[in-house]
Amino acid sequence: MNNTRIRRFTAVQRLFHLLLMASFLAQGATGLARMYIETPWGQYIAWVFGGYEYCLTIHIYVGIFMLAGFLVHFFYLLAKIDWKGFPGSLMGRDSVLLQPRDAKEAYEHVLWLIGIRGWPRFDRWGYWEKFDYWAVFWGMVIMGVTGLLLAFSVSSSRIIPGWGLNVAFWVHRIEAILAMGHVFIIHFFIGHLRRHNFPMDKAMFEGSVDIDSVRHERPAWYERLEKNDDLKGAITTEAGRGRRAVFYAVGYLAMFTGLFLLIGGILNSAAITW
Amino acid sequence: MKGRWWFHKVVLSMMAAVLLVAPGTAYSQEEVSSAIRRYRDMEVSTGYYERYEVLPQRRRPLVGLPGLRRDQFPYSPSGAQVRLRSRLADSHYGVKFYNVQKCETCHPAQSDDLHTVRANLTCRQCHGGEPIASIEHYYSPMNPIRRHAYVCAKCHEGASASFASYVIHPPNPADVKALEEFPALFYVFWAMAAIAVGTFLVFLPHTFLWGIRELLARKKETSSESHE
Ligand code: HEC
Ligand code: HEC
Ligand code: HEC
Repeated sequence: MNNTRIRRFTAVQRLFHLLLMASFLAQGATGLARMYIETPWGQYIAWVFGGYEYCLTIHIYVGIFMLAGFLVHFFYLLAKIDWKGFPGSLMGRDSVLLQPRDAKEAYEHVLWLIGIRGWPRFDRWGYWEKFDYWAVFWGMVIMGVTGLLLAFSVSSSRIIPGWGLNVAFWVHRIEAILAMGHVFIIHFFIGHLRRHNFPMDKAMFEGSVDIDSVRHERPAWYERLEKNDDLKGAITTEAGRGRRAVFYAVGYLAMFTGLFLLIGGILNSAAITW
Repeated sequence: MKGRWWFHKVVLSMMAAVLLVAPGTAYSQEEVSSAIRRYRDMEVSTGYYERYEVLPQRRRPLVGLPGLRRDQFPYSPSGAQVRLRSRLADSHYGVKFYNVQKCETCHPAQSDDLHTVRANLTCRQCHGGEPIASIEHYYSPMNPIRRHAYVCAKCHEGASASFASYVIHPPNPADVKALEEFPALFYVFWAMAAIAVGTFLVFLPHTFLWGIRELLARKKETSSESHE
């Protein structure tokens, strides 16, 4: 037990992530089960959830749960905004809003990728992390709205014309494919498999990151903490062995579920009626 | 006495176990509207049935003529002109071999919608028995002025005319033909597809490069994670 880690996520934020993760996988599985019901693979997933119809029931309830979570998260955001320094605080360094700085860092990061330049001086959130956050944010709005329209089709056709459901259906489908592709390929790769994070970046489960990795990977954040004398308050100890084992188990369970859905979905995509 | 009680306990707990494990009773004679909906609550299964498991089925058995694609059955030498039939009371009046064909043989484009493919509805559950009136025939149940009440509301309780404007047999949204038939679907489809493809075009190579780059660059030692 040594003080080697910096606090990065609060317990509430981790809870949000955990719930999002679980419900996202449930939505992916039940949605794909219905989409692929013509194939044995889809029928297998549907069987897990009790069949074609229960998949839809679960899909709708979990979807409503996600939307409720999203609403709570929205109010959480409002509560978290530093209202005193209002518009300026949104552009602060701890803010996840995309800022001009991110374009510059993205550019530098690309130069690093091709080996021209050193590692950029990232602050607390990298541009790809901000992108992930906002992708989920708007994805939630899009999937939620189209999902509600489709789930309550008779009522929603009072607000929109019925042919809007055809449109909503395709928006829902493409956005789902985009979201799953992004999470199961890109998010998982960056969180688990790239060498510096392998076997797993536990930040989102443990809530803290290793102090030396911060110094190397997010130098601007580290120096800012140091300069403002915040470092002491942010330092914490590593989680015990048992808890770490749980983090790995949860993380890998999610990753394998995602890969199962991704690979099966790609392999079977030619066998279904779109 | 004591021995008896012990015996009762065993029997009671076995009965409880049977009650927990055994499936519920099944009632035959239930109204069957589709193969999927037949046994839904009664069985532990995928809830989805193959054509050999349930009869009758809309799908054709797996026999085909070599060299003949199934959607090219030449039902009429002038397929384009027959659209003029769109106001007949019996849209198949005079169509040859109608009696011996399945709907999907002659109407392949109408046979891959969600109601047919996923919900396993038969064509007749919407289009009705003989004669099948043309869509726009004045007294057709499919006529848009009464479609919601005569067709959709059979299954979608409370369906309104707006609801019935849902396009049951939508064109392929990616196809240029959809631009004419259903422009909103076409544009939205391609806008969404562009967003999705754009995201992947940026982030897939990005992630890939990142993976390779880190393979080359060793991570610097860290104090807490090095011992794992
Ligand atoms: C032998 C080929 C054949 C078979 C089998 C067949 N149809 Fe048709 N159907 C036609 C032709 C030809 C037309 C007229 C062409 C058109 O309107 O596209 C037509 C027209 C229709 C129309 C009216 C289209 C309109 O524009 O109003 C409907 C509805 C229809 N068919 C439904 C069915 C259904 C349901 C079945 C199965 C019970 C079926 N058809 C079986 C050939 C067939
Ligand atoms: C859920 C109800 C429903 C089912 C099931 C259904 N149809 Fe239709 N069908 C419709 C409606 C509604 C229209 C009118 C479409 C329109 O106005 O654009 C239509 C139109 C048609 C037409 C006219 C051409 C067109 O595309 O508008 C044909 C042909 C047709 N259906 C054939 C079939 C066949 C063959 C099947 C079975 C494989 C089938 N339908 C199953 C509701 C249904
Ligand atoms: C014989 C019963 C039946 C009829 C008639 C019928 N539908 Fe459906 N419809 C279904 C079933 C079952 C589903 C669920 C499909 C699934 O589970 O994938 C469905 C799904 C839908 C959906 C998808 C959104 C949702 O609520 O899940 C729409 C939209 C829809 N139907 C519109 C129509 C319209 C418009 C008509 C009238 C032309 C119609 N339906 C007629 C049985 C029917």
